[in-house]
Amino acid sequence: MDLNYTAEDVAFRKQVRTWLEQNMPRQIKDLAERKVWHRKLYEAGYLGMGWPKEYGGQGARPMEQAIVADEMARAGAPAPTNGLGVGIVGPTIVVHGTDAQKRRYLRKILTAEEMWCQLYSEPNAGSDLAALRTAAEDRGDHFQVNDQKIWTSGGAIADWGLLLARTDPAAAKHKGISCFLINMRQPGVDVRPLKQITGSSEFCEVFMTNARVEKENLIGRLGEGWGIAQTTLGYERGGRALARITSYAVQYNHLMNAARRLKRNGRPILDDAVTRQKLGRIWADLEVERYGALRVLTMLERGEHPGAGGSLTKLSYSEFEKRFMELAEEILGPYGQLTDGVPAEYRLEVDTAVGDHGTWAYAFLWSRAGTIYAGSSEIQKNVIGERILGLPKESRADRVGGTR
Amino acid sequence: MNFSLSEDQTLLRNSVRAALDEQCKPAHVRAMMEDGGSGYSESLWAEMAKLGWLGLPFAEEQGGAGLGLVELALVLEEMGRAAYPGPYFASVVLAGLGLQAGGSAAQQEKWLPAIASGQARGTAALLEDSLDWDPAATTTTATKAGAGFRLDGVKRFVPWAHVADVALVPARAPEGVSLFLVDPRAAGVTLTPMVGIDLTTRWSEMRLDSVAVPADVLMGQAGGAGPVLEGLLRRAAVGASAEMLGAARRCLDMSVGYAKVREQFGQLIGSFQAIRHRCAEMLLEVEKAHAAVYYAAWALSAGAEDATMAASVCKSFVSEAARQVCGDAIQVHGGIGFTWEYDLHLYFKRAKALEPLYGDAAYHRELLVRGLAGSA
Repeated sequence: MDLNYTAEDVAFRKQVRTWLEQNMPRQIKDLAERKVWHRKLYEAGYLGMGWPKEYGGQGARPMEQAIVADEMARAGAPAPTNGLGVGIVGPTIVVHGTDAQKRRYLRKILTAEEMWCQLYSEPNAGSDLAALRTAAEDRGDHFQVNDQKIWTSGGAIADWGLLLARTDPAAAKHKGISCFLINMRQPGVDVRPLKQITGSSEFCEVFMTNARVEKENLIGRLGEGWGIAQTTLGYERGGRALARITSYAVQYNHLMNAARRLKRNGRPILDDAVTRQKLGRIWADLEVERYGALRVLTMLERGEHPGAGGSLTKLSYSEFEKRFMELAEEILGPYGQLTDGVPAEYRLEVDTAVGDHGTWAYAFLWSRAGTIYAGSSEIQKNVIGERILGLPKESRADRVGGTR
Repeated sequence: MNFSLSEDQTLLRNSVRAALDEQCKPAHVRAMMEDGGSGYSESLWAEMAKLGWLGLPFAEEQGGAGLGLVELALVLEEMGRAAYPGPYFASVVLAGLGLQAGGSAAQQEKWLPAIASGQARGTAALLEDSLDWDPAATTTTATKAGAGFRLDGVKRFVPWAHVADVALVPARAPEGVSLFLVDPRAAGVTLTPMVGIDLTTRWSEMRLDSVAVPADVLMGQAGGAGPVLEGLLRRAAVGASAEMLGAARRCLDMSVGYAKVREQFGQLIGSFQAIRHRCAEMLLEVEKAHAAVYYAAWALSAGAEDATMAASVCKSFVSEAARQVCGDAIQVHGGIGFTWEYDLHLYFKRAKALEPLYGDAAYHRELLVRGLAGSA
């Protein structure tokens, strides 16, 4: 056990920090500017770092990836774009794709020349994703896709989508699903932004009416989609462990500053014993999240996959974020609810990756999404209970045989 | 950066667990709880000395194994997991680490090899009537008397004082708070048992009435005990957290085991989400407590920049996590978990007893905010 960073990692961190100081844009106004920034990160070797070199990545160690993300969080650097492409679709194609698919799609994901989304959830298939009903029917030379997807991040700007659809309605629930690459820019695909409680539209609804998927765009074999989606979900849960915590720490410092200025009963809120207790608790929780991230990084560095352990990480940080934002709202009072006209002292300059700068109000509202997306907290607890603790499966109508 | 146990550390943990599984079964724990004498087993103590546990963090020339706080935390976690009844924590952590940090060469030479070999047991008297952990709150007095000192005051919750050969006793001299090595059997010292809910730990009230001590039992300079005591408190806080972690893990394991065999409504209760989700939450708390304990142990050992903060993160987090997990374990078990006969309460109470010691969660949260805000 040695939690010091190696001299090599310290030097790399310094190099990234210097590069960011020299190259980071102050502000990003639109998607075009974000794509320019994305390209710059890619050319510097700071994007798609974990991808194999033969597909345009760096073959970098998890620690190097973590350091880049962490330094970006520390500097408040704008996020690159095409996150689902780089983080999920690309790795899925690397693992399950054909050589032709790899040649055709991978590089353009890294350069953000082609933007990607993930077409998984449906109105009646959320936590119970395998209940999805979108059908892909074999029409000889292509598949024809019909029905609706929802909660599609970045759907409005996507050129391509990674699609889960049912190809065998007669097969068992988890067996009849296949995975495809679908062109979003076709007449049969209608994308409508979904306005969230934040007032913004990071998510979309996608309606597919006789949409076309070429035969060569099936990923893996027919009926293997569920297994492929499981590895995909695994990538989504691994994530930017360290950088996330650093972002929280940056926000925490903002909050401390606000607590110094704001007063209650004639004294700074920071001198209020009750508030101090709450601030102390959140800081301890935040640090424990950081220690946990270091444990995950240690595993990744050894080439081990956290597996179901990723559910512990995701459950932990998403629930923490809600508690943190609730405390922020408590300290900031009505300032914490402002979406416009926020005095500079109470602004939270978070980059929301959709081209606008955030506020505490936005961050607070957004914290409600974390315990729902990518498997709700309840689903994570099921996974932890069944796969880590080995507790018996529950009796479910869709599982033949019920409990063991 | 490597946040995982080394091969040697894993071996150590496994060997401690195997030894305690064999020699510190719940039946042994219960026998010691009901023991009318010292409340711990001399033969197990001798065995622990032989295995090198009693001198684990001391230098080799002092009869120790020369290991660090991470290794010590591993042993303490297992002690918590077994609810080991005996003066291990008092002797090795409180007296041992205290002497290591603040004792003169002669004092270390006198006591550390004796503690390591199991011949002597030590403790520390860190609490008084006010329960304030701040060393500056010490009201026990040390008055110059001839070549030595005279000590007067009342200490509370002194662990295993009734079997100790030496106690570290903070007292206020004219120069400020000072630390003395006191023989609990000396004239003028009165020990009165303080019996808590956790019968695996024995506390005493220690009354000092004009206790005459020679000059050579003063540790360091008169008035200079503050930093030694603060350092000791941090180490004790992390050590106690390691024990709480062990107790919590035991409670989690018992709950999961029970949920896999107990049936109600014709089904195993572990198949109900109400139970499964609770167990998942317990595991998350235990894993976070593990990270907090070993990060802090490493940070203190390595002298990391954030070591002081890490100790407070650890104690504030683990104090509540362990209480939550051990309490949830009773809930998962239902009625059986509330019986004296079932072993769960041994671990529940061990964790509970440690929760307020060496600073409770609220105390350490305040230290954290002071560290962050730079204001009192």
